[in-house]
Amino acid sequence: MSSTTAMSTVTVRKLTVRHRRTAVLDAVDLDFAPGVHGLLGPNGAGKTSLIRVLATVAAPSGGQVELFGSEVGAKSGHRSRAAVRRRLGYLPQEFGYYPGFTVREFVAYVAWLKEMDAAAVPAAVELAVARVGLADRIDARVKTLSGGMVRRVGIAQAIVNDPDLLLLDEPTAGLDPEQRVEFRALIRELGSTSTVIVSTHLVEDVAAACTDVTLIEAGRIAYRGTTQELTALGGEDTGADGPDGNPIERGYTAALRAHRAAVARR
Amino acid sequence: MNHRPTYTALPRLYIRSRALPLTVATLTCIALVAAWAAHWLQDQPYFDHTARVPVIVLAPLLASATIGTSLHAHSDELDRTAVRRWWPRRLLHLLVLTVLTAGALASAVPGHPEAFGAPGMVRNVLGATGVATASAALIGARLSWLPMTVYGGAVYLAAPHNPGGAAAVWAWPMQPGPQSAAWAVALTAYVIGATLLAVRGARPESA
Repeated sequence: MSSTTAMSTVTVRKLTVRHRRTAVLDAVDLDFAPGVHGLLGPNGAGKTSLIRVLATVAAPSGGQVELFGSEVGAKSGHRSRAAVRRRLGYLPQEFGYYPGFTVREFVAYVAWLKEMDAAAVPAAVELAVARVGLADRIDARVKTLSGGMVRRVGIAQAIVNDPDLLLLDEPTAGLDPEQRVEFRALIRELGSTSTVIVSTHLVEDVAAACTDVTLIEAGRIAYRGTTQELTALGGEDTGADGPDGNPIERGYTAALRAHRAAVARR
Repeated sequence: MNHRPTYTALPRLYIRSRALPLTVATLTCIALVAAWAAHWLQDQPYFDHTARVPVIVLAPLLASATIGTSLHAHSDELDRTAVRRWWPRRLLHLLVLTVLTAGALASAVPGHPEAFGAPGMVRNVLGATGVATASAALIGARLSWLPMTVYGGAVYLAAPHNPGGAAAVWAWPMQPGPQSAAWAVALTAYVIGATLLAVRGARPESA
């Protein structure tokens, strides 16, 4: 595991999240530094739970969560969470939108939640909407937009405050191939200055946009490494997947199976 | 950077996000209909001001349903990332609507405070809103009207004709104005409802 604690924006130690009695995340240790990080794993592995804890919308059952050096875990105060939230961008897997709101109003509402300087809001809203390619629809009502456009509105609200930590849960769901290519370019650009964590089940998003990968399986970290390392894992183990799998998909499967075998041996 | 929140344009977005204009319009309609109904009922032959009981019970019921459902947050997940604490905003939201409703409905039933007049109306607004608000915190805003509607309907049918006694507690919406036991129940319901809402917010519901 990387030991970049000194420059990490995110430091997680023994993070445990329980829903009723099941441990969704089981004593997870993680660090994230600036760059684009992919969070991969099967459905129900705990990706969304991790993102929600990092976004400070869900409280963990145990462990430490430090963002920008401030503790925001279960025992933290409102003051430290407030300071962190100004620097946070979050795209939930599903976000409702307020009826009758236009794109501009919706993004401005989130800017208001983040307590941005009022004078800076109109320009920041226009910039965020332009960056996701919706400048021509800025005054359209959100409910009249297609699913992919709503997803892009979600990305716009997440980047309106120019966040230092950007958490994206399934950002490419509903985007067409061209939009996905544009979106990957956008997050690579954002990752040059801030920490971007992208949860996805699409390995090709990770291959195209992320510098490193964290693989989560059943609430535990199954694999951590750079995207090249995961791809190389697939290249060595060609028999591990079907005939259509590309190297990174084979690498994903190989890493997951190696983890499962290691767990089974315990 | 200036961290001062923006008081000019953006509370307008908060007000619209909770559909408050629609809620206020609905509450106004309820108050107007209540005033008309109260007037009409006591003008009927052989009826006097005590015939206003249905208005005293039903108007707060409708108003509480309106207030309860207005507590729905369409984007709870994003609202949770707000820098500022939510409880003062939630409490202010509830207090403003309660004061408006109690004032408008109280003026819909003028006179006879010792029977079914303004004091009884204010008490019922507080009690019903308290139950609806607690329901919004516990079962979600969309169905928050249900418990008070069932309870209010049952009490309306089952309450004994003579006020006081145990009925002052369980049939508090049907009591005349000065019954202190009924006031105690209604105020308790309001305080519990407001506290639950302030602390927990409306229970998250899928969009």
